Amino acid sequence: MTTTAAPFANPDATWNIPDRIRDAHVRSWERLAAPGEWWTGAERVSIAAEGRRASALLDGLPAPGPGPVELPEAAVFTIHKLIGDLPNVSREWYDETTQAEGMSDAHYIELMGVLTHIWSIDEFHRALAIKLEPLPDPLPGEPMRRRPEGLADHGSWPPTVLPRDLAESEADIYGGAKNTPNVRAAMSLHPDSVRWLNDMLDAYYRGGAEPGPDHEPFRVLSTAQRELVAARVSALNECFY
Amino acid sequence: MRNEVDSGVEHGEVLLRFADAAVGRAPDLAEAREAVNAAMGAHGVIDSAAVIANFQRMVRIADGCGIPLDATTEKASEPWRDTLGVNSYRSRSNTFG
Repeated sequence: MTTTAAPFANPDATWNIPDRIRDAHVRSWERLAAPGEWWTGAERVSIAAEGRRASALLDGLPAPGPGPVELPEAAVFTIHKLIGDLPNVSREWYDETTQAEGMSDAHYIELMGVLTHIWSIDEFHRALAIKLEPLPDPLPGEPMRRRPEGLADHGSWPPTVLPRDLAESEADIYGGAKNTPNVRAAMSLHPDSVRWLNDMLDAYYRGGAEPGPDHEPFRVLSTAQRELVAARVSALNECFY
Repeated sequence: MRNEVDSGVEHGEVLLRFADAAVGRAPDLAEAREAVNAAMGAHGVIDSAAVIANFQRMVRIADGCGIPLDATTEKASEPWRDTLGVNSYRSRSNTFG
């Protein structure tokens, strides 16, 4: 595992990646390497590495090496399930997983935040036939193990925080909105995963999409075209939401 | 996935082919990407790749957390869920039990 001097420089790529996207990728690598609330930096990088191993299985490619530290067995199984067997994820499986050794609902949500963001960035690169960025070297430090205030059952499997129940330290995660879609609140048990989600939504989907001074020249898909592609990806994954 | 009905969306066919190839790890990914490039240019390829990657993440968050449909979507999607076959997805139970 090595860290490039200029991450995401992609010097030999066919495509000129817009700064809005490239900058979000760089910030994602910084987030990945740092210790979280429930996993160390080394464990977070190992989650990303295991995600790449799961992806290689899907692609029929040789598995790349594991991450810097060993993960609990339930975490490894979770990673492979979320990447390769999403249609069969169930409430029973979630309950069993979050009660397994080395796991909890908070570990699960932070793992999901790390895994899905790195997987998404890798998927972007695979779609464009750009070589995957080497994973970063982890930063030292211990997890803080803090659960946010205001958690309650709002219909998702993990507890979530509604905008009205946010503590001051997390007041930014929904952008000040009074209501938020369930998918945005889904990872609010780990507020930094919601912040990461906001950043990547802005880079990949939302930011600069509308006409106006913030409009990005690379946002050429119309709303109908974006919704068509989004619906197809959801259908291919058998996602009801 | 078959396209039995024309979406009516401009360049819809090449965009769907690109999404199918990227998500399905299909051997024609390069051709599918080039078809988008020919129809919409390099920005079209980058923007559609970003949308694909975005929803590869969102579906995992949604179904990995078992989130139910938002109330407005539940009502709005009711008339066509059966037609599109989405009521057969296992994750339907996250909303309707």
